[in-house]
Amino acid sequence: METTIFYIISAIILVFSVLTVTTTKILRAAVYLLFTLVATAAFYFMMEYNFLAAVQLTVYAGGIVVLIIFSILLTHQINLDLKKINSIKKITSGLVSLFGFILIGNIIYTHTFKATSSVIADTSVNEIGRTLLNYGDGGYILPFEVISVLLLAAMIGAIIIAKKK
Amino acid sequence: MKFDIYDFSVLTASIHQLLGEMMGETAVMITEMVIVGIVFLTLFAILGLALVYAERKVCAFFQQRLGPMRVGFWGTAQTVADAIKLLLKEPLMTKSADKFLFNLAPFIIIVASFMAIAAVPFALGLQAIDLDIGVFYVTAVSSIGVAGILIAGWASNNKYSLIGAMRSGAQIVSYELSVGLSLLTIVVLTGSLQFSEIIESQREGWWIFRGHIPAFIAFVIYLIAGTAETNRGPFDLAEAESELTAGFHTEYSGMKFAFFFLAEFVNMFIIAAIGATMFLGGWMPLHFGGFTAFNEVMDFIPPIFWFLGKTAFLIFMMMWFKWTFPRLRIDQLLTLEWKYLLPINLINILIMAFIVLMGWYF
Amino acid sequence: MIEGIEIQHIILVSSLMFFIGVYGFMTRKNLITMLMAIELMLNAVNINFVAFNKYLHPENMQGHFYSLFIIAIAAAEAAVAIAIIINLYRNLHSIDVEDVNNMKH
Repeated sequence: METTIFYIISAIILVFSVLTVTTTKILRAAVYLLFTLVATAAFYFMMEYNFLAAVQLTVYAGGIVVLIIFSILLTHQINLDLKKINSIKKITSGLVSLFGFILIGNIIYTHTFKATSSVIADTSVNEIGRTLLNYGDGGYILPFEVISVLLLAAMIGAIIIAKKK
Repeated sequence: MKFDIYDFSVLTASIHQLLGEMMGETAVMITEMVIVGIVFLTLFAILGLALVYAERKVCAFFQQRLGPMRVGFWGTAQTVADAIKLLLKEPLMTKSADKFLFNLAPFIIIVASFMAIAAVPFALGLQAIDLDIGVFYVTAVSSIGVAGILIAGWASNNKYSLIGAMRSGAQIVSYELSVGLSLLTIVVLTGSLQFSEIIESQREGWWIFRGHIPAFIAFVIYLIAGTAETNRGPFDLAEAESELTAGFHTEYSGMKFAFFFLAEFVNMFIIAAIGATMFLGGWMPLHFGGFTAFNEVMDFIPPIFWFLGKTAFLIFMMMWFKWTFPRLRIDQLLTLEWKYLLPINLINILIMAFIVLMGWYF
Repeated sequence: MIEGIEIQHIILVSSLMFFIGVYGFMTRKNLITMLMAIELMLNAVNINFVAFNKYLHPENMQGHFYSLFIIAIAAAEAAVAIAIIINLYRNLHSIDVEDVNNMKH
């Protein structure tokens, strides 16, 4: 059962990510991206990282994709297709990507992955919160604070850049 | 719970056992998924019919009219007739509209509300999935619906639709924050995101009573922001007829329009249900710590009626807003969210955290 | 851990997704579609982190937290990128990378 669901989700991810980068209608690309991201959240749900899956849905599907769709609505018209790319460029970039994939795939198949432990960490929200705000050993308080400063900086920067003169 | 007869998990367990005797494990899982899906689809249809009727009647009474009276007893079959009319209508489409996206948009919105309703606890043991991140899951999933609205506005190839979609989108994205933060105020009290635990923690009394003034402020903000998030009430400026005809669903007709309509009402039900669960105790009967006799009398009423009653009360409140207040302008709407509700909400959470730290709540 | 699925399968899917993103980044000329390709790549990396965490080091949560931080950074990056794109559109009426060839318009 889980195996079948995994293969279905993988198929959704791969088909829609190919469509995202090849379609000529820009809003369709954004919608396909939305499907890919939601399917990724399904992966996280299957791996029992529920919190991460919900973050993925909120930030990616509900935040970034909506932001992208907004910017498309502001900068494009419906009857305007994306420019065609010449086939030489298509072939060369396809070859580069294929080569990279073969390289990585080769490493994945020759390397043997060994699990270090069979103890499964507690992934409840309580534990995540305690680890994020823990300033002891293995805590993430510093990156957490740095990220918050980064988000504030990005917000101010975005407002200043997009503000009308 | 005192009375086992009200526990729906007995019923679901017996169904599970019955299916297990008939077929294999995988087949049982698939059958159960199909059953749950059909139950929710039926619920969607019933909700749509009932809420549209309620909306028309409430509106009529507020305006001192009778509302629909002709079809059926007191017009009860009016919405069925409306649904049949919508089914028979011709599906129209504007010239050079993006057909694929045009047809997809209503489904994105419906699927988002379908996913959200899965986590709503209807009664003891009557919940499709009890995730450990329940509250967060609901806010996460309902945020996908915005994409559907924006896509609908763009794919219609109509200026009114586009502007209406931009306004609705901006409105929903901003008010989502307030909904999430006001729910977070209660999460601070319960210390859990799981719906079953949140309801269990209200056995001694509902949070709106026990959480002092901050819980009440959060409740008021939740109602305002929830009304705005469903594009209803005084915040339905996306559909301001005189300016934008019908907003993002101007070009939709027939069944696809019905989907938007249904999604609006189902979203209203979800907002009311989550509000009832978080602030008013969900299916938990009205209990006061110490009054044992009173609590036992209250336990006689089945939990599902408590839940539906509280939800109906919140839905009535939202309809009351809609027919009482004049519509806001877009700039007034965004000012209300960003300059008033959001700062109040943040300070409110701070006060609530302080109260919880000091243990000042009941 | 997903029942009956090896870690290799998940990593293959994610690396394929990553290189689809690379292909998109190289072929697209429109800034928004390039941003989408970047999001694909970031997402693929996230899947990798989570899969390694779940399959190889299930006693730790590092991969999980890395993914959380990557998602946060992706959000910040998208916000700034879209602000830049909208500003470009306002000045040049085009968001094609090839049209952006002046220091000041």
